[in-house]
Amino acid sequence: MELFFLAVLFVLMIYALGSGYPVAFALPGSAIVTILLAGFFGLVIEGDSGAYFIQDGPVEWLTAGVTNFRGIYWEVERDTLIAIPLFIFMGIMLQRSKIAEDLLVTMAQLFGPIPGGLGISVVFVGGLLAATTGIVGATVVAMGLISLPAMLRNNYSKPLATGAICASGTLGQIIPPSIVLIILADQLASAADQAATMRKDFYKQATGQFSMPSEFNIISTSAGDMFLGAFLPGIVLVGLYMVYILIAALIRPKMAPAVPYEGKLLEKTFMRKVALALFPPLLLIFLVLGSIIAGIATVNQAGAIGAIGAMVMAGYKMREDSKSAFYPAILTIASLFLIWIISSNFNLNIKTITESSDWVGLAIATVGVFGLLVGIAWSGWRAYTTENTLTEVMRETAKTTSLVFIILLGAAMLTSAFRGFGGEEVVKHFLSSLPGGFWAQFIVVMLVIFLLGFFLDFIEIAVVVVPIVAPILLADPSANITAVWLGVMIGLNIQTSFLTPPFGFALFYLRGVATKAVKTLDMYKGVVPFIALQILGLGIVGFNPSLVNYLPTKTFLSSETAPPPKNPRLQLCLEDYLFDFYDNNKPEYLASLKPLRSSDISMLPKLKQETLANSIKNAGMIFAMVDNIKNAKSAMDEASVAYAPIHTEVRAIERVIARDEKEIKQLQRDLRNETRVSKRSKMQSQIAELQDEIALSRKAIPADWQNINREFKKLTAELNASRAKFRRQSDQSYSDIRLIASSIDSEPKLVAISDMLRRIKASSNTSSNDLLDEIKAAYDKLSRIPGSEAAAKSLSDAKRAIDGASPDLTKAIKQIDISLVKIDDEIVWRRAAKTGFYAELADFETYARSNLGLREQRRLTSEQVDFVTPCLAQHRNLTLQF
Amino acid sequence: MAFLSQNALFCALRIVGLASAVLALVFVINNFLIFGVDAPGVINILRLGDIFGVDSPRQGYNISQILLGIVQTVVVAAGVTYAVWRGLKSGNLRIDANWMDEMSAYIVRLSFWAVLLVGIADAALSFLRVEGFHTVLFGAAGGAAIALPSERGLFVHIPLIIISGIIALRDKSVSLVWLTLLVVVAEFMIVVARFIYGYEQTFMGDLVRFWYAALFLFASAYTLKEDAHVRVDVFYASFKRRTRSILNVMGTVFFGIPLCWLILMRGLWGKSSLINSPMMNFETSMSGFGMYVKYLMAAFLIVFALSMLFQFTAYLFNSLADIEENVADDDAAEEVVA
Repeated sequence: MELFFLAVLFVLMIYALGSGYPVAFALPGSAIVTILLAGFFGLVIEGDSGAYFIQDGPVEWLTAGVTNFRGIYWEVERDTLIAIPLFIFMGIMLQRSKIAEDLLVTMAQLFGPIPGGLGISVVFVGGLLAATTGIVGATVVAMGLISLPAMLRNNYSKPLATGAICASGTLGQIIPPSIVLIILADQLASAADQAATMRKDFYKQATGQFSMPSEFNIISTSAGDMFLGAFLPGIVLVGLYMVYILIAALIRPKMAPAVPYEGKLLEKTFMRKVALALFPPLLLIFLVLGSIIAGIATVNQAGAIGAIGAMVMAGYKMREDSKSAFYPAILTIASLFLIWIISSNFNLNIKTITESSDWVGLAIATVGVFGLLVGIAWSGWRAYTTENTLTEVMRETAKTTSLVFIILLGAAMLTSAFRGFGGEEVVKHFLSSLPGGFWAQFIVVMLVIFLLGFFLDFIEIAVVVVPIVAPILLADPSANITAVWLGVMIGLNIQTSFLTPPFGFALFYLRGVATKAVKTLDMYKGVVPFIALQILGLGIVGFNPSLVNYLPTKTFLSSETAPPPKNPRLQLCLEDYLFDFYDNNKPEYLASLKPLRSSDISMLPKLKQETLANSIKNAGMIFAMVDNIKNAKSAMDEASVAYAPIHTEVRAIERVIARDEKEIKQLQRDLRNETRVSKRSKMQSQIAELQDEIALSRKAIPADWQNINREFKKLTAELNASRAKFRRQSDQSYSDIRLIASSIDSEPKLVAISDMLRRIKASSNTSSNDLLDEIKAAYDKLSRIPGSEAAAKSLSDAKRAIDGASPDLTKAIKQIDISLVKIDDEIVWRRAAKTGFYAELADFETYARSNLGLREQRRLTSEQVDFVTPCLAQHRNLTLQF
Repeated sequence: MAFLSQNALFCALRIVGLASAVLALVFVINNFLIFGVDAPGVINILRLGDIFGVDSPRQGYNISQILLGIVQTVVVAAGVTYAVWRGLKSGNLRIDANWMDEMSAYIVRLSFWAVLLVGIADAALSFLRVEGFHTVLFGAAGGAAIALPSERGLFVHIPLIIISGIIALRDKSVSLVWLTLLVVVAEFMIVVARFIYGYEQTFMGDLVRFWYAALFLFASAYTLKEDAHVRVDVFYASFKRRTRSILNVMGTVFFGIPLCWLILMRGLWGKSSLINSPMMNFETSMSGFGMYVKYLMAAFLIVFALSMLFQFTAYLFNSLADIEENVADDDAAEEVVA
C-alpha cells in the first residue's frame, strides 16, 4: 500500500509541476497532501493512520519535514549555503553595472579580427561571468540579448551563433563560482554521510568485522572542493568549444567571419578601454577563485570579497565619464596596498601582539582599513544614487536567493514524504537489481537525470534527485567514486540536457529573446555539435577522474590544515612513494646509514644503547620488509584473478538474500499486528515463498566458496600484516633515532636547569610560596626535555612536598638533590654522545625524514604532495575488500 | 460552470482564505499567550477536551487568566465571523487582496527591523562578553545578566522587537532587500577581521547566519508577489490567462496554504513543538560565546508561514478576481521567469 501512495505522490507532483505552480510550493504541497491522504485512508480503512507508511505515521513524517526546513539554516554545518546570496549579489552587480556587457563587447572587439573570434569571446565571457546567477534562464537571456544581435550583424551563421550562446550560457553552471555547485556540494555532503553508513554495513556483512578501516571511507565534499573539482573540467569544456568554433571558422569562413575592428587596434584609447574592461573583472574572478584554490579563504569569505569587489567596480563604472570616476577605487586599492605592506612587516594579530612597534603597525593598518571601508562605502553610495543600481541589485538578489532556498525548503518536505512511503527502498531495490554492477546503475541514473533536465531546473534536480540516488552510488565499493566526481558528472549531464532539443531549457529561453529571423530549426541545428562536444567532455571526465579529483586533493594536502602523513587515507599512496624511493635509492640509503652503524654508542645508558642499536638494525632491514609487502601483494594479485569473479557472484547472491531476509522480517512484524485471516494467510505464504527463494539462492553459491574465500582472506591478512610491520618498524626506528638526537640537543638546556635548581637551593630560606613557584617553573622546563623523566619525577616529588597545608622544606631539598644527581648523569652521557656519534646520528635523521621517518613528520613537503596527489586522485577499486 | 455554483465556490474560497489568514494570526498570538503567560487558550475555555474526550482541560486558572482565555476565545470567534461576513458580502476582491498584501508586508517589515536591530545589538553584546568587557561596562550584575540567554531575550530582544513594530508602522521606505547588503557586509567584516587582525569569533559567523536565514525566509513573500518563484513553464507558458488563474487558485488552496498551516501546527501546537520549544527556552547555540539568537531563528519560520499565508491569500484573491473579471491575455503574461 505504501507503494500506491508513493505513486500518488508521484502523480500529484507531476500534476503540480506541470500545472506551472511555483516549484517551491508544488513540491512540499503535493508531499503534504499525499501524507494527509495516506493518513486519512489508513485511519478509515485500517484504523491506524500509520498503516500506509513504511514506519511511523503521518504526524511524524510531517514533523520530520518541518524539522528539515529548519535544518537548512539552523546548524553551523550547512554554512556553505551562505555563499549563495553572496555570489548572486556579485553576479547581479556585475550584470547591472554593465561590467559583464562591457567585458563581452571589448572581448569581441579584441578577438574579432581572428576567425571565429566573436564566437570565442562569447564562450569565454559566458563561462566566466554567467556562473554566478545559477539560473540558466537569466544567463541565456542576458547573453542572447547582448551578443546574438552582434553576431548576426557580422554575418555569423545562425546555427553557430545560437549554438554558441546556448552552450556558453549553460556552461556557467558548472564553472566556479557557481551556486549550483554549492547546492550540489551541500546535498552530496549529506549523501556521503549516508553512504558511509551503508558502506560500513556492507563491510560488516562481508567480513564480519565491526569497524571498517578508515582508508575505505567515502571521500565527501564541500563547496570549496566542488569549485576546485569543477575547475579543470570547465576549462576542458571551454577549450573544446573554442577549438570547435575556431576550426569551424577556418574550414568554412562564412560561418564565423572575422570582424575587423574599425580604427587602429593598437591605438592608445582602445588599449586603455581594453585594459579597463578586461583587467578588473578578470582580477576579481582570479582573486575569488584563487583564494579558494590556495586554501586561504573559505568559500563564504571569497563570496564576500567577490561581492564587495563587484561593488567597487560598479562604483567607477557608474561615473564612467566623470573625472573623479576612479577616486573610490583608487582609495580602496591604495588602502589595500598599505595594509599589505604593513601586515608583511608587523605582527597585526590582535591576540598575540606584544611589542610596541607592532602597536604602531596596528594603528597604521587601522588607518588603511578605514580608507578601505571609506572607498567601499563611497562606491556603494554611487551605486545607490546612480540609476538606483544598488537597490535593483539588492531586489534581484533577494528574489533569486529566496527562490533558490525556498525550493530547497520544499524539497526537504518532499524527501520526507518519499522516505515515509519507502521510496528509498524502491530505488535501491531497482538499482541493485540491475545487471552490470555500478556502471549500469550509474548510467541509468545519469539517463534519468538527463530526462529530468528537460522539465526541471538545476536546483530542483540537485535537491530532489541527488539525495535519493547519490548515497547508493557513493556507497558502492567497486567504483569507490568521490563525491566531487559524482557532482561534476551530474553537473555536466544536466548541462547537456539543457541544450538538447526539443525540451532543452536554454533553447526555450533563447527562443524568447531571439529575433524572428532566427528559426527554431537553426537553433536545433546549432546546438547539435555542442551536444557532441558535451558528450565528449562527459567521456573525458568520466574516464579521467583525476581531472576532477586532482585539485581538491592537492589543496587538501597542501593547505594550512593539511593532514599529517600518518592520515589513513594517504597510506597506500604514500607507500607507492616510499617504494619508489627504496627501489631507486638503495645504495644511497645504505651509504647514509653506514657511518651511524659503525659508530661507537657505548657512552649511552644501557637501555638507550639497546634501543638505538635495535633501531639502526631495523633501519637497515627496511628493504626486506618492502620485499615482503611486494611478495604478499603479488600473491594476492595472482589469486584475485580467479577470486574476483566468484566473489562478485557470491556477493550479488548474498545481497539478494539479505534483501529477502529484510522483507521477511518486515512481513513477520506486520503479521503480529494483523488479525484478519485472509491477510494473515497471504502474508504467511509470502514468507514461505521468500524462504524458498533464500534457500535457492543459498544453493546457487558455489560449494567451494568458503574455502576460496578463506584462502583469499588469508592472503589479505598476510598483506595487511606485512604492511603493519613495515609501518610500525619504520616509525619506531626513526622516532627512536630522533628522540636520542633531540635528547643530545637538549644538553645546554639541562645545564641551565641544573643551575637554576642550585640557585633555588641556595635561596631556599625564602617563603615556601615563592619557592614553590620557582620549582614549578623548573619542573615545567625539565618535563619538556626528552629523556629526563626520572629527574622530572624527583622534582615533582619536591614540588608536592612543599605544596599544600604543611610544606616540608627538608624533604623538598632532598628531592631536589636527587633530581640534580640524575640531571648530571643525563648531562654526562649527552656531552659524550655529542662529541661522539652525534654528527652521524643527526645526518641520518635529516636524511630519513623523507623516507624512513616520513610518517612521523608533521606534514608532507610540496614535492611529496606532488607525487602523492595523482595517486590519490584516482578511484581505487575496493571490491575485494568487501 | 453554472453562474450560481461558481459564485458559491468563490464565496467559499473567499471565506476560507480570509478565515485562514485571520485565524493564523490569532493562533500565533494565542500560542504566545498560552505558553508565554500561561493563558488557558480556546480549547481549555470551551472545554473542547471534554467534548472530544481527548484530555481533560487543565484546572486551577485564576480569574485574570480565565478572563484572558475568554478574550482569546472571543477573538477567534470574531475572526471567523468577520471572515464569513466579509466573504458573503460580495465586495471587491482586489480590496481584500490589497489588505492581505499590506499585512504580509507589515509582518515582513517588522521582522526586518527586528533582525536588524537585534542582530546589531546582540552581536555587540556578544563581542563585549567574549572579550570580557561586559562586566567592566555594565558592572558585575549587568554583566552576569548579559551572559544569560533569558535575560538578554527579555530585556534586549523583546523591547527591540516592539520598537521594530513601531518603526515598521511608520516607515515604509526601507525594506528587507537591505538584508542582502547586510549579509555581504557582515561576511566582509569577517574577512577584514580575520585577514588583517587575525581575529575570529563565533558571534561573527552567527550574525551572518542570522541575517542570511532571515533574508531568504522573509523575502519569499516578496518573491511570490513579484511572481519570481520558479515555475516549470513547459506547459504553463502556453496556457491562457484564465487557465493559469484557475491553476494558481488550485495550487494556492491545495499546496501553498496547507504548507503554511503545517509549519504553524507542527511548530507551535504543543509546548515541546519544533518552534515553541527553542523559543520558550531561549535556546542558544552550543558554542557558548556566540550570539543568543538561535531561538529567534526558530521564530523565523513563523514569520515565513504568516507572511506567506497572507501573501498566498492575496494571490488567491487576485487570481479569483482575474477569473471573475475575465482578464484577457496580455503581454505581461509573456514574462520569462528569470
